[in-house]
Amino acid sequence: MRNGKTLLLLAAVALISAACPTIDVAAGEAQVSEIEDYKDSRYRAIFPVSEKPNPAGVGMQPTAFNHFVHVKKAGNCMSCHHNGITVACTSCHTMEGKDEGGFVTLTAAMHKRHIAQRPEGTATPQSCISCHAQQTKSKPECAGCHSIVKPARSASSCAPCHNMTPSMTTEQMQQGSAGTLPDVEKLALASATIKAREPARYLTPEDGPYKVYIDGLSDKFGSNMYAHRRHVESVMEKLADNKLAQAFHANPETLCATCHHISPLSATPPKCGSCHKATIDPEQPGRTNLKAAYHLMCMNCHKGMQVARPVDTSCATCHKPRATQSLTMDSQSSGQGSITPQSVN
Amino acid sequence: MAHHNIVIPTKDKLFNLGEFSLRRRGNLITAIILAVGLVITVIRFTQGIGSVTNLSDVQPWGMWIGFDLLCGVSLAAGGYFTTVGCYIMGMKHFHSAVRPAVTTAFLGYTFVVVALLYDLGHPLRLPYMFFFPGTTSVLFEVGLCVATYLTVLFVEFSVAPMEWLAGRFPFLLNWRKLVVRCTIILTIFGVTLSTLHQSSLGSLYLIAPGKLHPLWYSPFMPMFFFVSSMAAGASMVIFEGMFAHKGVHHYMDDTHLREADEVVFSFSKAASFILFAYFMLKFTDMLVQANLPYVFSGYGLWWLVEMLFFVLMPALLYARGSRQRNLRICRFAAANTVLGIVLNRFNVSMIAFNYALPSAERYFPSLWEICISVFVVTMIVTAYRFIVYHMPVLYEHPDFKDAH
Amino acid sequence: MNRRKFLTILGSAGVVSALSTAEVKAAGGTHTFPYYDGSFGVLHDTTRCIGCRECEKACNKVNSLPQPKKPFEDLTVCDTRRRTSAYEWTVVNKYEVNGRQVFRKLQCFHCNDPACASACFAKCFQKQPDGSVTYDGSQCVGCRYCMIACPFYAPGFQYDEAFDPLVQKCTFCEPRLKEGKLPGCVEACPMDALTFGRRSDLIKVARARMAKNPGKYADYIYGEWDAGGTAWMILAPAPGAAAKPDGAMQALGLDTHLGNRPMGELTYGALGAVPMIVAFWPVLFGGAYAISKRRDAIHEAEKEAAIKEIKNDMTYAVNSAAHKVAETHGQAAADTVREAMSEAMQDKGGHN
Repeated sequence: MRNGKTLLLLAAVALISAACPTIDVAAGEAQVSEIEDYKDSRYRAIFPVSEKPNPAGVGMQPTAFNHFVHVKKAGNCMSCHHNGITVACTSCHTMEGKDEGGFVTLTAAMHKRHIAQRPEGTATPQSCISCHAQQTKSKPECAGCHSIVKPARSASSCAPCHNMTPSMTTEQMQQGSAGTLPDVEKLALASATIKAREPARYLTPEDGPYKVYIDGLSDKFGSNMYAHRRHVESVMEKLADNKLAQAFHANPETLCATCHHISPLSATPPKCGSCHKATIDPEQPGRTNLKAAYHLMCMNCHKGMQVARPVDTSCATCHKPRATQSLTMDSQSSGQGSITPQSVN
Repeated sequence: MAHHNIVIPTKDKLFNLGEFSLRRRGNLITAIILAVGLVITVIRFTQGIGSVTNLSDVQPWGMWIGFDLLCGVSLAAGGYFTTVGCYIMGMKHFHSAVRPAVTTAFLGYTFVVVALLYDLGHPLRLPYMFFFPGTTSVLFEVGLCVATYLTVLFVEFSVAPMEWLAGRFPFLLNWRKLVVRCTIILTIFGVTLSTLHQSSLGSLYLIAPGKLHPLWYSPFMPMFFFVSSMAAGASMVIFEGMFAHKGVHHYMDDTHLREADEVVFSFSKAASFILFAYFMLKFTDMLVQANLPYVFSGYGLWWLVEMLFFVLMPALLYARGSRQRNLRICRFAAANTVLGIVLNRFNVSMIAFNYALPSAERYFPSLWEICISVFVVTMIVTAYRFIVYHMPVLYEHPDFKDAH
Repeated sequence: MNRRKFLTILGSAGVVSALSTAEVKAAGGTHTFPYYDGSFGVLHDTTRCIGCRECEKACNKVNSLPQPKKPFEDLTVCDTRRRTSAYEWTVVNKYEVNGRQVFRKLQCFHCNDPACASACFAKCFQKQPDGSVTYDGSQCVGCRYCMIACPFYAPGFQYDEAFDPLVQKCTFCEPRLKEGKLPGCVEACPMDALTFGRRSDLIKVARARMAKNPGKYADYIYGEWDAGGTAWMILAPAPGAAAKPDGAMQALGLDTHLGNRPMGELTYGALGAVPMIVAFWPVLFGGAYAISKRRDAIHEAEKEAAIKEIKNDMTYAVNSAAHKVAETHGQAAADTVREAMSEAMQDKGGHN
């Protein structure tokens, strides 16, 4: 029992750290209700602060930012407050850019995708977008879809952040843009916005088919059974506790849209074959043929999720050789270890 | 040596084949090489190119092009070099060197074509290039010029067999008269064609900048090939003269022997200048193309060996030899130059070609390829001997003495 | 340099007009890209290729090539570096980029202005309006200069064939294109790593893919300009952050130093000089001959003049001597002297 003390110590640390968030939450709730100090509060309202704010209060919707959640996830204040001073982003980065912020605009500071590596010893700043992109890349449960789907800058992808509560008045907007809105009002706006947010009600695995038979192309191989429900279930399970996914997967059909892409979101999306034809159309070379469309989708997702099996070149893991063809196939490829006929499910 | 009275060997008889049947080592070796060559020839033409060569898809041109074609053509440059010197520049004391030079040039080109037939996949289709002329091809230019020049050389050379056969077939005298009258035109035609195809042999590789090492690749390769061919021509005349003096000395007449040394010294002087010029060309080209960093690599070392020991050294030796009128130095320099030309052509076509490929994919000629090349050279020597034994090449025919 | 070469060609248009192909002639003797509007091509996206060798198999089948020693299902052959040959018109090689394995398919690139066609002296190769570079073996002499010329090491030669050895390479499945079918390999590719389409569209497709997947691709479409542009083009995965885009291509064994002009143009300067030499050399050497002949003539004339002068001097000396003799010894003695002197001179003259 040489490690007895260490173990005890570890257990104690674990207990404390588990308790801390609870305490914090309790304290936070108290703060919100009492509206004490903006600096210690859970939420922030980030306004498009400008030297010359529009007098009519016109501008980009401010963002209600859940500081508390991000502190917990990031752990290190420096990843956002990169110069070591915990002041508001807008004190250095404004819409026009200021000397203090190296003339990096607020838009860039929040959205920049590729940030040049800073020299050793100085923290490389993160933007909202670059940090989120890192998350979707590094987490296997995200990386599957996000190796295929890259969040685009569109109205639907702006809304999750830029959606201040409609109760905000033009005066408040005007003051916020000028940087003169009192903290109390900011906090009230942010908290009202965040409280009003409701998680999207995703379609359930049961809303989709149980199994899908892909047989439009079968020649060498028999029709391919795709366990649709099992795939959806697996992905949804993994994302159940993922706050980032919940925040940004805003629509009931968002998860479906990786595979059922391009067409408008719908619970009854069109078939793959309605766009992807069996052979490539020379007039539409950008559109893959049906077989490749399946393969690219399946393989890229599996690769992103780091699913080791099946190996890309092992056809028979997914496809059952056709009865009539299997004989000739076998005679051709007799002694091939890499091909292991195996049924799915 | 002082006084040679040539007994015209074919004065009373048409053939003089006695020399071939003498039991001498040279004849024995010739017989063996020819026999082996014939066997390989049969294999080559019944089993395919792959059966006797190490040629591959990455190295489609090997020994047979690198040596038989590139070296063969440049070493046969003595023909145009000597005729221009004698007839155009008016150096009359070269006169006795013209006929041997034209003879070897004619034989050289003939056997270049013969060797080419070995290398071609469809040797019988060689004339197709005139039916379907690919005019954008450097090879077309080479082919056209070589074919035309071979004809010119044949006409120039034909005087010798005419003089040989005139006793039997007097009508040949008319032809001879016509050819002699056209000497100047033929010479100018010959030098033009030579300039073209000697340089185009260099142009052949212009299309492969990625494959040839930068120290050898240059937009001026045609010029390098042409300039070096002049040096090769001069050196070859000296070089083969050296062997002729050993082997067929007794077929040389007074004039030939009297002029022979003077020819060597004149040609040495010329070759010295040309080699210096060539060295400067290559060196400047290396600097201008910013290839200096390559000089300090493995290939750079090899390039320096070629430049210093096979261009600069013979140039200096030639200069010294011609100044001191030292026959031995001149002959050594000639051999050195000939080796240098062969080395240069080998570098361009084989050693520095495909330099970027891993060594496992590189080419080394097979024994049979070398045998065929030796076979071709032996055929040239044998044909040369036949000609010298029968025709007035190294001596002037008494019947046509005043004709020159 | 190119411009000068080009002007050289224009200057000797009479002889060299035959150099240019019919289509170029139609364009007024200038080279333009692309040679054939709407010609087809294939975009090979190496980020999609999984190295399954289905393309090799299909190529073998549609072109009735001999069965290879190892079956196409054996994927270990990708580990060794291979090249195309007379019996394998396409091969897939494995490369390592950033620690990840990347596969690249090798075949004829079907250049816009092919080096092989420019090099062939029997006009066996032809760039077709559909984009393919075709080879007609019926007039092939078997010189293999096309293989020297090809910067991509694509053509292979049937060295094992004794009586009808031919150069063989990918045909772009020209016969199948004519039937309205896709090339065998493209049809067989399960990943659409080979995208068939009009060359101009494919460049747009390639750029669109780069834009849609930032950081995925190297910013380089191999074959867009290389060697004057090729019908088959390649996309490579992005190299490491520090590496340049052409580093990605070099990692896939592609030569990025071929320049953006057709390889054949490298020889056009030399070929353009041919008519110059044909025109000028006879003048040069004719002139040299005339000079040397004139020099000889002048030399001869000077010699004659000198001899004449000496003769005159001698005659004068003899005459004056004879005159003196006549004064002292009489006319008869003078005649004897004159005769003896002229005899002596005759002798000397004859000797000289």
